[in-house]
Amino acid sequence: MTSESAQNGNGRQPLLDVRGLVKYFPIKRGFFRRTVGTVKAVDDVSFDIMSGETLSLVGESGCGKSTTARSIIRAYEPTDGEILFRTEEDESVDLAQLSLTEMRPIRRQLQMIFQDPFASLNPRMNIYEIISEPLLVHGIGTSDEREDRVAELLRLVRLRPEYMRRYPHAFSGGQRQRIGIARALALNPRLILADEPVSGLDVSVQAQVINLMMDLQDSLGLTYLFVSHDLSVVKQISNRVVVMYVGRIAEIGTPQELFDSPKHPYTAALMSSVPKPHPSQRTKRYVLEGEVANPANPPTGCYFHPRCPFATDQCKVEVPPLVESKDGRFVSCHRADEIELTTN
Amino acid sequence: MTTATQEPTAIREQSEESILSVRGLETHFFTDEGIVRAVDGVDFDVKPGTTMGIVGESGCGKSITAKSILQIVEAPGRIINGEISYNPSPGERPATDILQFDANGSRMRSIRGGEISMIFQEPMTSFSSLHTFGNQIDETLRLHTNLSKQERFELGVDWLARVGIPNPTQRMHEYPFRFSGGQLQRAMIAMAMCTNPRVLIADEPTTALDVTTQAQILDLLQRMQEENDMAILFITHDLGVIAEIADEVTVMYLGKVVESGPVHNFFDDPLHPYSRALLTSIPSMFTSSRERLPSISGSIPHPLNRPPGCSFHPRCESFISGVCETREPQLDSVNEEQEVSCFLYEDR
Repeated sequence: MTSESAQNGNGRQPLLDVRGLVKYFPIKRGFFRRTVGTVKAVDDVSFDIMSGETLSLVGESGCGKSTTARSIIRAYEPTDGEILFRTEEDESVDLAQLSLTEMRPIRRQLQMIFQDPFASLNPRMNIYEIISEPLLVHGIGTSDEREDRVAELLRLVRLRPEYMRRYPHAFSGGQRQRIGIARALALNPRLILADEPVSGLDVSVQAQVINLMMDLQDSLGLTYLFVSHDLSVVKQISNRVVVMYVGRIAEIGTPQELFDSPKHPYTAALMSSVPKPHPSQRTKRYVLEGEVANPANPPTGCYFHPRCPFATDQCKVEVPPLVESKDGRFVSCHRADEIELTTN
Repeated sequence: MTTATQEPTAIREQSEESILSVRGLETHFFTDEGIVRAVDGVDFDVKPGTTMGIVGESGCGKSITAKSILQIVEAPGRIINGEISYNPSPGERPATDILQFDANGSRMRSIRGGEISMIFQEPMTSFSSLHTFGNQIDETLRLHTNLSKQERFELGVDWLARVGIPNPTQRMHEYPFRFSGGQLQRAMIAMAMCTNPRVLIADEPTTALDVTTQAQILDLLQRMQEENDMAILFITHDLGVIAEIADEVTVMYLGKVVESGPVHNFFDDPLHPYSRALLTSIPSMFTSSRERLPSISGSIPHPLNRPPGCSFHPRCESFISGVCETREPQLDSVNEEQEVSCFLYEDR
C-alpha cells in the first residue's frame, strides 16, 4: 500500500495520511440493546500530517476532534476510512486495517499525551515505574539500561533524575504533565497525539509545557497531532490547523490564514469569539446564534447552515465537499469564493 | 511563619460610591494537616453598574472570596475576620456590614440570591437534577418576591426567553439534563437575574464553555448589566475575558491581593511582577505562531507550604534578596488609580 495523493508541494511524503475517516457510535436502547440510531462523531474526515509538523484539530466540544485522534491510535475502531502511516522502515501501512497484534509494534511509534495530569499517572507507581513501563511492555533493555533511559528522559523534560523514586503526588500539575511527556517519549515515537495537553494546567505553567513541547519537537524531530479547544494555544504551537464542526472538516489552513482571512463562516465565527487580548480592542462581538448541531440528528446539507448568515437554498440540501480553493486552501463551503469574511 | 513581626493590616477607608466594599477579609480552612489561609486579608471595592474582574490561578482564593461575601463557605472553612459593606444606594444611605448577619438568618437569606446573586462555574452540577427548571426558578422567586404562583411562572418564562432559550414555556417543565451546557449556564443566569440583583457574582461563568458559547454569555451579561445598572464581580483566570468585560481588575495570588486598578492601566502598565509575568506568558491570538513565550518559573506553592515574606518571591524575576523573603509587602497606592503590594514600589 503506498499513497498516491501523498505528494505535497515540497515533495515530502506525509507521516500520516487520513482519508475518509468515519466513526459512528450506535445509540442502544431497551432490554435487547437494539440500535436505534447512530452518532456520527467523525464523518468523512481527511487530512495529512507532514513529518516534523504540528497539526491541530480544533472545534467546539462534540465536534469529533478527540474521537478522530483516538480512532487514529485505534483506541476506537474506525467505522470506515484509511489511516495511512509511514513507519520507521518507510513503509506505508493502513492502521485501520491492522489487527491488534499487528498494531502492537506500530504503537511504539505513536504515543499519546493526555489532558489531565492528575488522572493519567498511576498514584501507586513511582516515576521510574511510570516512565519505564512502556519499555518493559515492549521488552526493551535490561533493568540498568532502563534506569539510564528514564534518567535521560527526565533530563530531557527538565526534571531532575534524582526524583525518579518519588510518586506522582509529590509533583505539581506542570511537572506531572512533563512526566507524561517523558513517558510518551520513552519509545522514541514518530508521532505524538496530544489531547488538550495544557488545558488542565494553570495559566502560569502552560507556557513552560508549550515551550518544552516545541523544543522537543525541534531537537527530536517529533510530529504532533494536537487536539485543543484553546485557539490561542493552537495558534502558538501549530503549523497547520484543521477546523472541525459536527464531525466534519470546515477548513484547513495555517493559523495566520485562518485568523486573518478565514474562508468558512464557521471559522470566522470561531476566531471572532476569541477574546481580544487588550481592552482597547473591544469591538462589537460577532455572536454566533443557536447551538451546535446534534451529531445524532444533524441538519440536512451543510451542518452549519442553520447558524450561518450566508446560507442559501443549496446549503440546506447539498453537503459541501472539502475542496481546494483558488489560493490552495481547503474549505468545505459552497460559497467560499464569493463571501468576504473578517474576524473582528 | 513570622506572625510575631506582622502588623495587622490597617483597614482602609471605605470608598463612598461603592455598592460593595470588602475590607480585610480572612477566610481560613481548619484542616487536619493545618490551617489553610485561603483568603488572607483581601480588600476591594465594586461600584454600581461596573464590572470588577478578580484574576488569579488555582488556589489564589478568588472563589472563596466570592463565597465569603454570600457566607456560603463550606466547612472546615470559616470567615474569621473582615468587613463586607453592602450599600444598595451608595451616597444616600450608610452601608451595612453584611458579614455581621447570621449566615442562616432571614436578613442574609433575603440578600443571598436576592440583592446579591451568584452564578457558578459548573452549570452542569449547579442545578438539582430531581426538579424541573421551573420548580427551581420558582423556589428562588417564592423566597424573594410576593408574586402569585401564576405570576412567578410567567416571570420564569420571561427570563428564559430573555436569556435566549427557545420554547421557554415548554422548557420550564423540563429537567436540567435536557439542557446543553451553554443553555444551562444561560438558565443559571436567568435564575440569578430574576430577582433583579444589585450585585451579580460570576465565578468562572464561562470556563467550562466553548469560545462561541462564551461570547454569547459575555454578551448576555453585558446587556443585562446595561439594563439593570447592576454591578458584576467577575472571577476568572482568563485575562482575555478580563480584557473584554472588566472595568477594574484585582489580581490575587495565594489568598492576597497583589495588584488592583482600572483595566486599561492593568494591561498597559501592570505593576506587580506576577501581573507582568502573567500578561507576557499567556499566548494570545496576536502572538505569532511558533514563538516561544517567556514562562514563569516554578509552580504555585502548596497552600500549607506558603513561602515566607512575599509569597510570590520564589518565582519572582525582580526578587530582592534579604527583603522579599523576610517581610510581607502591603497593598498600597502607587498612583491615583493603581494599588500594588510589592517592595519595588515601596519608596514611592
